[in-house]
Amino acid sequence: MNRATESAPSVQRRLLWFLLPSLAALMLAGVYANYRAATAFVESAYDQRLGDAAVSLAGSLIRDGQRLRVDPGAVPATARHADHLVALRYAIINANGELLAGAREVPAAAASMTTNPTFADAIVAGERLRVASYRVSLNRDSAVISVAESAAQRAVPGRFILASTWLMDFIQLDVTLLIVWLGVHFALKPLLALRRQIEAGSPRELNHLDATTVPAEVKPLVEALNLLFDVLAEAARSQRRFVADTAHQLRTPITGLLGNLQLLMKEPAAAALRPRLEALHAGMENLARSANQLLALARADPSTSFTEQFEAVDLRALAGRMVEGNVDRALHAGLDLGLEAAAVAVRGNVRLLEDLLGNLIDNAIHYTPGGGHVTVRAGLRDGRPFLEVEDDGPGIPEDQRGRVRERFYRIPGTSGHGCGLGLAIVSEIAEAHGAQFTLEAATAVGGTRARVLFRSPLPAQV
Amino acid sequence: MRILVVEDNDLVADAITLGLSTAGFAVDRSASAEAAGTALATEHFDLLVVDVGLPGEDGLSLVRRLRSRGATQPVLILTARDTLAIKVQALNLGADDFLLKPFEQDELVARCRALIRRANLYAGEQVNLGRMRLDVAGRMLRIDEAAVELTGREWLVLECLALNAGRVVSKERLQQAIATFDQALTPNAVEVYISRVRAKVGDAAVIRTVRGLGYRLDEPRN
Repeated sequence: MNRATESAPSVQRRLLWFLLPSLAALMLAGVYANYRAATAFVESAYDQRLGDAAVSLAGSLIRDGQRLRVDPGAVPATARHADHLVALRYAIINANGELLAGAREVPAAAASMTTNPTFADAIVAGERLRVASYRVSLNRDSAVISVAESAAQRAVPGRFILASTWLMDFIQLDVTLLIVWLGVHFALKPLLALRRQIEAGSPRELNHLDATTVPAEVKPLVEALNLLFDVLAEAARSQRRFVADTAHQLRTPITGLLGNLQLLMKEPAAAALRPRLEALHAGMENLARSANQLLALARADPSTSFTEQFEAVDLRALAGRMVEGNVDRALHAGLDLGLEAAAVAVRGNVRLLEDLLGNLIDNAIHYTPGGGHVTVRAGLRDGRPFLEVEDDGPGIPEDQRGRVRERFYRIPGTSGHGCGLGLAIVSEIAEAHGAQFTLEAATAVGGTRARVLFRSPLPAQV
Repeated sequence: MRILVVEDNDLVADAITLGLSTAGFAVDRSASAEAAGTALATEHFDLLVVDVGLPGEDGLSLVRRLRSRGATQPVLILTARDTLAIKVQALNLGADDFLLKPFEQDELVARCRALIRRANLYAGEQVNLGRMRLDVAGRMLRIDEAAVELTGREWLVLECLALNAGRVVSKERLQQAIATFDQALTPNAVEVYISRVRAKVGDAAVIRTVRGLGYRLDEPRN
């Protein structure tokens, strides 16, 4: 899961990374276009006003014979627009270049010959101006009326338009992003539900995923997964059957061989061959143990139905049975096998727990030299039930304690015993019961304490 | 004592037949449930040793057929399949004990002896245990034909252990066996009686202490 999120971003992130920059760029372009359109409109409106002012000033020109002259009574101090009380500067200059009225510094736009005013930008004394010029012709005389307005005045509405456009578009973008985020989240909801469904199941149970609630795009994927689960489950089942059948098929001939060998060893004529027969017998017993371990491992597999058959298991009774079953082996090895048990029950599978404790006792008996002690314990420790096997043998070196739980691993230099599956079986069964399996030195000088600590006890049976 | 072994694998059947014959039993062998049915119809056997996995009718079915006919001989089931289900089924059908392959010859012989002993006890007969002979009805112990004097509680302890020879008997069970209403028991009463019985039995039987569990009586190994 973690590796997947590191290697490729989630669909949600992908969508947002794709949508966010495009939407932001689109918004910026929108702001620019709106601003340009609005300012062009404002410019033309302002020009119109400036032109109107120039045209209205033409009304103050009167004819004086062949010449044009300004009626002093009709010329205002400043030109005023009807709607806006904005100060406008102006100049009326006749064809000879004489200033008839206004201020000399007002420049003239190149006046056209038409009856429409013309416009131009100019800079006078460091001030940016917009000028409208209007030519009035009368007989052979003419005059140019120029009206100027400060560009700074015009910038005020432009800034206002820009600010309001930004604001509007920004709000629009935020709302859009929120909708996109919600949309993506909503669209991906079934995928998240699928993820939870997958995470909820144990990976080894291979249960089918519910394909009815997933979106159409993902349905083929889920169906393919379910098909794969079926194939895997069938493969696990047939492997398990194979291991179990093989172990069963091995047991009968081993029984026959072992039985005949044991009878042979009792024959008076076999006395001379006894050491060789005993070696053969030990090898045969090892073969039998391997078959048993393979079978136990197949049983301990969490994908088997064994882990579902959980019931109340009395650990004291179980420990008692297992100790009793191993008394002969312990006697044979010259060991004192004992039990220290208190009444305690857990939820578990009795057959698997027998395998677990059996393997721990088997190991302790095998690795403890004659004259030693092996003690099986069951009880409560800090409110948690435990099973424990302690011996006063040589102990397991600290650097080997992790490795001995691996399948088929044997501590270098130790003799063959089964096929090195004992503690792997214990680990698997402990895991299937949600229990902790620990190996530690029993005392400062050696010995081994193998303990399986369960999560919680079952209330005492009434 | 006559035993019928129903086992199809020749190697296993040979070992069982030879092992039980050596231990002093008369042994007949059938290779199938059908053949065993024929043998049982005409002959008497004190014990049946039946393998579950037989060709044709299986061992469990044979036991069911036998019990439905009212036969009461003890049956020891052998199986290579150690699932709990088979064990439970076998015991429910009326089998008396269950032995998983592969097993030790000594274990097989011990189980067979225990089954026959218990069957004899229910029949009120004498129980032979190596050099010891227990007259259950008369509460009498003989070792090599010589009578051994036992007090009431010593007999109860020995009887309990002998009838379960080869099995561990818990201390609690022995305590219950010797408890009487008129006399209170000291906490170490069981230990006291065990040591007395040990002394009286001598080397005719071994009474082992299994630490934390109880006691087990075995025939001494030769």
